[in-house]
Amino acid sequence: MLYFTLASKAYARNLHYRGAHMLHNIASALFGYLYACIWIGIGQDRPLGEYGVHGMIGYIAFTQASLWISGFITNGLGIPQAVRTGQISLDLMRPVHLFVLCMCREWGQIAYQFVYKSLPIYLLYMLLFSLTLPTHWTTLLYSLIALASAAYMSICMNYIIGATSLWTTESSWLYWVNHALINLLAGFFIPVEWLPSWLQTISWMSPYPYLLYVPTRIYLGYDQSASLIGSLAWCIVFTLLCLLVTVIVRRKVEVQGG
Amino acid sequence: MSIKYWLDLYAVLIRSSIRSRMQYKLNFMLGTVLAAVIQIAEFLMIAIVLNKFGAVKGWSLYEVGYLFAVMTLSKTLYRTFASDVHHLENYLTTGELDQLLTRPVPILMALMSQNIRLMPGELLQGGAILYWSMHGLMSSGQIHWIALPYTVFVIFTGAIILFSIGLATATVGFWITRINELQTLTEDAAQTAVRYPLILYPSWLRSILLVVIPVGFVNYVPSLFILRGEYGSWLVYGIAPLAGLFLYLGLKFWKFGLTRYQSTGS
Repeated sequence: MLYFTLASKAYARNLHYRGAHMLHNIASALFGYLYACIWIGIGQDRPLGEYGVHGMIGYIAFTQASLWISGFITNGLGIPQAVRTGQISLDLMRPVHLFVLCMCREWGQIAYQFVYKSLPIYLLYMLLFSLTLPTHWTTLLYSLIALASAAYMSICMNYIIGATSLWTTESSWLYWVNHALINLLAGFFIPVEWLPSWLQTISWMSPYPYLLYVPTRIYLGYDQSASLIGSLAWCIVFTLLCLLVTVIVRRKVEVQGG
Repeated sequence: MSIKYWLDLYAVLIRSSIRSRMQYKLNFMLGTVLAAVIQIAEFLMIAIVLNKFGAVKGWSLYEVGYLFAVMTLSKTLYRTFASDVHHLENYLTTGELDQLLTRPVPILMALMSQNIRLMPGELLQGGAILYWSMHGLMSSGQIHWIALPYTVFVIFTGAIILFSIGLATATVGFWITRINELQTLTEDAAQTAVRYPLILYPSWLRSILLVVIPVGFVNYVPSLFILRGEYGSWLVYGIAPLAGLFLYLGLKFWKFGLTRYQSTGS
């Protein structure tokens, strides 16, 4: 119940800024539109593999909308700010595990972003580019599981990034590096199979393809549910990592102000 | 008081801002390296696509690299000297702008000397991509050495245009306080758009990027002459008065906005 309350508070807090977020959605949708225009330009004179021009538009539309689930997570889950203000010492004293506390709050944030950002943006693209929904309900179900796993992995990544703020004041750079790597290695703009082979190898050795590429491929019907095994495996690895990081954080805790 | 007085004062403020930032050398080094990684990743995105599929609507990888580099360098120049103009929202929401208003210097100068951001990562990365693209274009005989001074010129005019857009966007904050969302539209999205040739976009979007948010004049319009010899050299020279006009309008709007400022925060 406590976990649900933490999540629902984060969701409710965001509801106050719906108007501003709708303006932000226009900018976000514009980004996807720009990338779609680039693929339309490239696809004018040449085929675009198994996707084709319309397939690539659908691909970009889905990855752009999914960014709000697995990409745009609160910087370090708010831990850098808590370190700066000294709030982290109180958070560590609470009778709730720090990782679970941060995670629950972020789930509320992600749920809000899914409803008020991902869905409106994707609906806009559906109208604009005449996209259709998958014909089988299982495809939708597997896509949602893949996206939920992606969101969880992203939460874990940001927890680890946030924890680094106990060692450096510049942890926000790691957030942006993570974001740049999502753009490059997660198949946000370029499907992973079109990366140079050395970069493909790096990409598949990392969890990044499971953040956007795998959910998108499942949604578009190119991949089956078997791809979810990789997502689940990474979720387990990240859970263990986050628990380990919490143990280290508890020994290191340091505040920068108050 | 003369212009020299204000420039000297500005130089002193900048020096002290840089000194305060350099107190955290390790963090500065980390930030520099990671900024370069981000820039490389962003450029790799389009470089990989163009390398795989060839030119896009007649624009080669070198030409797109040139657009990307000029935009990166102009933006670096703008954000180095006007970092806190971009971050005006923080001052508005916390009421910190009140402190700046009490200082005996123009508010814009106070803001621009607050947190000078040295950005060597972006500078090196932008410079490297510019060198690589111009070297490639020179080797193929598409451009000659004269393109170099033209490029330096448009990087500076581009920085003025970006500053003017940033200033106008920040000024809107005097009415609506929160401007991050608006900045995503007028700065982030617009600047990302013109890293690629405008010819890729439908005419309505091209018009917006040339008239409403004139980022197209930072790199795309001058590159039509510098890289392709289209229209004439007036295309490059004409950008200077245009940048001056944008700056004038931006400053006027800023002054007007300041008169509407109402303090907030605790």
